[in-house]
Amino acid sequence: MITVLHHLLIIPILAPLLAGALQLFLAEQRVIRVACALGSVLVQAATALTLLYLTTDSMPHMWTEGVGVYAIGSWPAPFGIVLVVDRLSALMLVLTSMVALASLVYSLAYWDRVAPAFHSLFQFLLMGLNGAFLTGDLFNLFVFFEVLLAASYGLLLHGSGIGRVRASLHYITVNLVASFLFLIGIAMIYGMTGTLNMADLAGRITLLAPRDRALFASGAAILGVAFLIKAGTWPLNFWLPTTYTAASSPIGALFCLMTKVGVYAVLRVGTLLASGDEQTSFIDVGLFYGGAATIAYAVIGMLASHRLGRVVSFTVVASTGLLFMALGLRVTALTAPVMLYLVNSVLATSAFFMLNGLAQRTRTLRMREAADLAPLPDVTYVGFGVKQSADPLSPKDEVGVAIPAAMAFLGLAFVCSVLLVAGLPPLSGFLAKFALLRTALGQDSSAEISGYTWTFCAAVLASGLAALIALTRVGLRLFWAVRGRTTPRLRIIEVGPTAFLILLCLALTAGAGPVMTYLESAARSLHSPQVYIRVVHATQEATP
Amino acid sequence: MRLTLIVLLPLLGALFAAFLPSNARNAAAWLSGLVTLACTALLIDLYPQVNGVDAVLRERFAWAPQLGLEFYLRMDGYAWLFALLIAFMGVLVVLYARYYMSPQDPVPRFFSFLLAFMGTMLGVVLSGNLIQLVLFWELTSLTSFMLIAYWYHRAEARRGARMALTVTAAGGFCLLLGILLLGNIVGSYDLDDVLVAGDAIRAHGYYPVMLTLILLGALTKSAQFPFQFWLPNAMAAPTPVSAYLHSATLVKAGVFLLARLWPALAGTSQWFWILCGLGLCSLLLGGVVANLQRDLKGVLAYSTISHLGLITLLLGMNSPLALVAAVFHMINHATFKASLFMAAGIVDHETGTRDMRRLSGLAHAMPVTATVAMVSAAAMAGVPLLNGFLSKEMFFAETIFAGEGPLIRIGLPAAATLAGMFSVAYSVRFVHGVFFGPVARDLPRAPHEPTRGMLAPGALLVLACLLVGIFPEQTIGPLLRLAATSILGLDAPAFSLRIWHGFTTPVVMSMLATAGGALMYAFQLHRRQRATVRAPWRASVDGRRAFDLIMVLLVRTSERLMGWISSRRLQTQLVLIVVVGLASGLAPLLGQTAPQPAKALTPLNAVFAFLWLIGAACAVGAASQAKYHRLAALIMVGGAGLMTCLTFAWFSAPDLALTQIAVEVVTTVLLLLGLRWMPRRTKIDELHRQSFRARARRARDFALAIVVGIGIAGLAFAIMTRPSVAVLAPFFLERALPDAGGHNVVNVILVDFRGFDTLGEITVLGIVALTVYALLRRFRPAPESRSIPRAQREDAAREALASGDGLPGDYLRIPATIGRMLLPVAGVVSVYFLLRGHNAPGGGFIGGLVMATAIIVQYMTSGVLWVEARLRVHPQYWIGLGLLLAGIVGVAAWFVSAPFLTSIEWDLHVPMLGNLHLSSVLLFDIGVYMVVVGATVLMLVAIAHQSLRQPRKALPPGEQDEISVMAAVEAER
Amino acid sequence: MEFVVAMAIGVLTASGIWLILRPRTFQVILGLALLSYGVNLFIFAMGRLVTDRPPIILDGALSSSDYADPVPQALVLTAIVISFATTALFLVLLLAARGLTGTDHVDGKEPDA
Repeated sequence: MITVLHHLLIIPILAPLLAGALQLFLAEQRVIRVACALGSVLVQAATALTLLYLTTDSMPHMWTEGVGVYAIGSWPAPFGIVLVVDRLSALMLVLTSMVALASLVYSLAYWDRVAPAFHSLFQFLLMGLNGAFLTGDLFNLFVFFEVLLAASYGLLLHGSGIGRVRASLHYITVNLVASFLFLIGIAMIYGMTGTLNMADLAGRITLLAPRDRALFASGAAILGVAFLIKAGTWPLNFWLPTTYTAASSPIGALFCLMTKVGVYAVLRVGTLLASGDEQTSFIDVGLFYGGAATIAYAVIGMLASHRLGRVVSFTVVASTGLLFMALGLRVTALTAPVMLYLVNSVLATSAFFMLNGLAQRTRTLRMREAADLAPLPDVTYVGFGVKQSADPLSPKDEVGVAIPAAMAFLGLAFVCSVLLVAGLPPLSGFLAKFALLRTALGQDSSAEISGYTWTFCAAVLASGLAALIALTRVGLRLFWAVRGRTTPRLRIIEVGPTAFLILLCLALTAGAGPVMTYLESAARSLHSPQVYIRVVHATQEATP
Repeated sequence: MRLTLIVLLPLLGALFAAFLPSNARNAAAWLSGLVTLACTALLIDLYPQVNGVDAVLRERFAWAPQLGLEFYLRMDGYAWLFALLIAFMGVLVVLYARYYMSPQDPVPRFFSFLLAFMGTMLGVVLSGNLIQLVLFWELTSLTSFMLIAYWYHRAEARRGARMALTVTAAGGFCLLLGILLLGNIVGSYDLDDVLVAGDAIRAHGYYPVMLTLILLGALTKSAQFPFQFWLPNAMAAPTPVSAYLHSATLVKAGVFLLARLWPALAGTSQWFWILCGLGLCSLLLGGVVANLQRDLKGVLAYSTISHLGLITLLLGMNSPLALVAAVFHMINHATFKASLFMAAGIVDHETGTRDMRRLSGLAHAMPVTATVAMVSAAAMAGVPLLNGFLSKEMFFAETIFAGEGPLIRIGLPAAATLAGMFSVAYSVRFVHGVFFGPVARDLPRAPHEPTRGMLAPGALLVLACLLVGIFPEQTIGPLLRLAATSILGLDAPAFSLRIWHGFTTPVVMSMLATAGGALMYAFQLHRRQRATVRAPWRASVDGRRAFDLIMVLLVRTSERLMGWISSRRLQTQLVLIVVVGLASGLAPLLGQTAPQPAKALTPLNAVFAFLWLIGAACAVGAASQAKYHRLAALIMVGGAGLMTCLTFAWFSAPDLALTQIAVEVVTTVLLLLGLRWMPRRTKIDELHRQSFRARARRARDFALAIVVGIGIAGLAFAIMTRPSVAVLAPFFLERALPDAGGHNVVNVILVDFRGFDTLGEITVLGIVALTVYALLRRFRPAPESRSIPRAQREDAAREALASGDGLPGDYLRIPATIGRMLLPVAGVVSVYFLLRGHNAPGGGFIGGLVMATAIIVQYMTSGVLWVEARLRVHPQYWIGLGLLLAGIVGVAAWFVSAPFLTSIEWDLHVPMLGNLHLSSVLLFDIGVYMVVVGATVLMLVAIAHQSLRQPRKALPPGEQDEISVMAAVEAER
Repeated sequence: MEFVVAMAIGVLTASGIWLILRPRTFQVILGLALLSYGVNLFIFAMGRLVTDRPPIILDGALSSSDYADPVPQALVLTAIVISFATTALFLVLLLAARGLTGTDHVDGKEPDA
């Protein structure tokens, strides 16, 4: 038992690897391959939850202060590659497995049969995500980024079609260039410090001479740009809406996680480097303005787009912007709300992408083209598909229209998702935004509230309002257009996952107390990386 | 627990009603009736417990203490009064709706929304935690949206609902921020704490901001000027909804909040000016426009705005007595307005129209309704012996003592009187216009009295109006005092509710108002007879257009902006990325002096320099030729690659050199295979190549490329000339032989020290191969490159005249023969590289690539068919096996209880071979080897196979797209 | 020598950048290839330049300073393989795009001049 616990950290990477490889031999036997895929995801979920449990200091004799480390090949850090799990990475692992579970089940209804190797690619994508969240080594982080990107290329192209090919042409090119930046950054950091282990790095920065420090900083900045591209920061994110809209709905749901990998990387590397380096303020300011620009971009984008998928993609962008703005404020207390918001936005947008897939079926093909190709101006489609009754004061049509169960579900799910994304009560979206604002404003009534904070508050509310306006507009057209609407046939394995994600948000709201406790401890350990560093270095004693 | 029950009951009821079948009319009605009755009963039962100076019921549940959040229900007299109003009105509306809604209507949904709305409204009233109040506040916006849009198939309903939601939700956001500031000032969101901290709040520097935000929230909700426009459009809702939302509940939420926070916020000049100003505007504006409406419900809607304006004005006056008057008028307005809406609904329901120009003389057909309407209208007009009269008297009285300064002293009472006239005028108009005069002929339906169920609620309310109007002290007095004390505490003012205070100024004012109103209506009638005139400025008042305009503008501007701040062109995106990358790379170096070599440079070697002259020439040549002479460019890129390879070799990296050269070969082959599908360059883009913008763009890109090149070269030079920091290297070099048993450190790093990287990397290789394969299965050649090229036709011929040994007959005979002889050799070589990798240059990659190359050579020389007829390569299986092998080797370490990928060694003695040193590392490397072979071959085969494709019928891209879309849709069905 | 290598990196990168900013997919793919050479050399250069001392341990007792830094070499090896894979992917994508859109413009449609 205890040995299994020791090897726990590798499971989230190993399980999808083996499952994905096995899938290649199960071309015909669908039952087995589905079982294999589901099994692997469930194993990952179980592992992630166990890790989450362990990081709460529940087994102090095993892990010190809830940070677990695993020296691969039993080579000690900084020489070998170590996997490190702290509260943040455990959280991300759980989030990943939850979204993955939903997306996988959803895709079983139809998408997994569109093209070969879906399941393999799916598993490899998970491997990449989990690896990126677990690794403690800079170059290994790059490798896992490549794994998840390569898989994402495959999955984005999944189902082919001109739209996807066009989108991925941009997506892939941008990411290849980003990877070059990533490599240059790593290379420079190695060239200046001679190490690749993040924890070790943190210690060595202080030893650098000023000029070497400058070179190092330049490397770090280039690395940062790579992360910002992945996270979708303006002006490096024009590819994002197109790509996310083009992706098939379950894949779109997974992609919501991928932008957050960029955010995670910034959080992880940023906090570790910041611990050794005091001159990071200009980075924070940059982060703040970058975030602000990103939100502005997202707000305008939401208002300008007429398709649900596109609006949702822009809400993903907005969430990134919000996260960076919050991080840029340099209020350590904000980190916990930031994580809450991150979790919430991932769940919400993923659910939304799945919902989008279902909702598109409510309109016949012709309607879809009519609406999407030539978006109708606002005023006219307030009365979409309805002729003004000749005399509004003596109306003949004052009898309601019954709503079929499928539409009722779609409508409800849509409303919930809108609430989550726009940060309206009662779901966790509201809670997250409230937490962000409250912490940003601070508790000390005598303190001056800075212009940064005001901007941040304004941005939070503006993005929420924009999302509300854009989504009600799209929603009205999607659900309340009378003509050209067909009641879709929904399957339980598509409805279930969507509902599952929304229910998770509900749980998040109800259990806000314990959740916040965990997140606050996570934030604390993130801002005191000494523990992380100590634990990683401890591997040297551990291994002869 | 009972407070919780009061809030929970309607919500549960709503949930339950939602699951009733859409024709379960009576079940839904009964359910809602019982729920509302139960709430009312509970509230009445609680009266004794809240009846006292500071008798407050509290129920708290922990939620998120870290965020200062708790679920806290708090009921004092004021909250109780309001809750009772909401609940009781709910009962009446449910009863009314049961008979109002048509039998075909799927009413369970209606009742479900109604109950949900009631629950959230009660939540607002009973919240003891301000954040929780905001939460319920936003929920009322949402539920009311659902109610207004109940007949969502009607354009007006959708428009009205969306407008209401947008306005009130936006207000809600402001309110949230305001409350957050308030909480920040007070240090708690607890209502009790806030109410006692009034002075601190008013003194605080952020008071103005906070106040503005909170007022924005409240005034949008209460449809006050300039946010009044959503309310008339909300009239598209079924009449029961209007009767509920616009009498007792939704619009009252705003003024409720203002009165609730009165002790904490009121008493400053900002408060006075904002509230009085906007209140007065709404009061007059509503009054005027109400007189111009043709729609029955329109009249009521604008009168509602006007009366809410009155309440806001009272609240703004900073005098306790005004507050009492405000609360009093809230209740009165609720009663008479609800009954008026119901009456209007009856008229609409029975005659089939709400058009005041068509309606008249209905008193003959429906006397009871007429009476109800008349009495409640009188109450609205403020006729003595009715409740409206009392609160209006108090209002007039307050306006006189509102403040000093001639403007307020004279202006306010005058304005009040004027408003009074308006309200009298539209009340009279409502009654006289509809129920008197000649009997209307051409109505959609023949009018007659409705069922009792529809009359009863209105009648009850009218009764209330009368009772309160005649015996104020006995009926409303105590409740009002209770409310006042619970808001103001012990310093609540004493007041007497008497019908006759003597011949005072207020009396004069109301006389004036009545007379003036009557005259005004008479004048209107007079003009109406001459010609029906529409007010010229009505359009500007009706904010619907304005709202739509704003929405459209919003969309249009953002669409235009998107053109500026975004781009769908890849080149723009890449330029931005390069620029940002460059900037952030150079930014930290600003102010640094040029790098001085800090270590001895390696001596310059002429040969090497010359090599790189060629390399540079190749690179530049490729850059310039890539567009028009692809093959040449490709060859030159190969040249540059060769130089890179030589550089590796030169600077003691044999493994790199080997890998680079192998990769070089494979890449080139790939690109060559790809070239065949490239389009011919036409002269068209020659033309717009000359355009100025194109030139400018090229200049920009050129400059950018140069700068980046210099920058990266500078960085490289700067770092190369620093002494290296030896951290990892020594460890690896020292441990490689003793601990990892390998001479070739690079390879040891790849398969042992950092084997985990390699694992990830071969996964990437596998993924890409699979993607390529999946993508090419659906590959469609471009129209013009579909014609089978000459070479291939000869291929076909060659296949035909292939002699017995399957060798091609023509010029490819020799190469093919050599190639086939080469295959086994290459196999051996590749295995050799693989095995020796641990100690000498080589390893899984190189071996794999060599093998793959050999196989490709077969394809190239002997053609696809021949190869696949003879050797069955299942690349997927190679990839799968390789990954599995690597993974399992890693896991094997667990059995010696070591971490993943720890190398294990066996020394087994084999006869004749002697001691064989086996290491798990070797197995891992074999895994790598297999993946590399599999992946490379899979990609090449996939591309090679394209030449076998029988070209399909040409389709313009658009259609292809549509087909794929349709396919997706059909499949999704 | 350092200077030559630096210049080589510079030239490769510059021509690569120039090419990826061109509108035709084939130009872009060649650009990516050149860029990968540049970047690989860059990583390699981070281990400083050492002639004829390959990191292959001879049984003679030499100190670690007598060998070239093996770490960048390992990194470059990984990078080479990954960039090879992605180049291949890009090539196929380029073909598919060409086939579906009927143009080899990076935006999947000819710019409306």
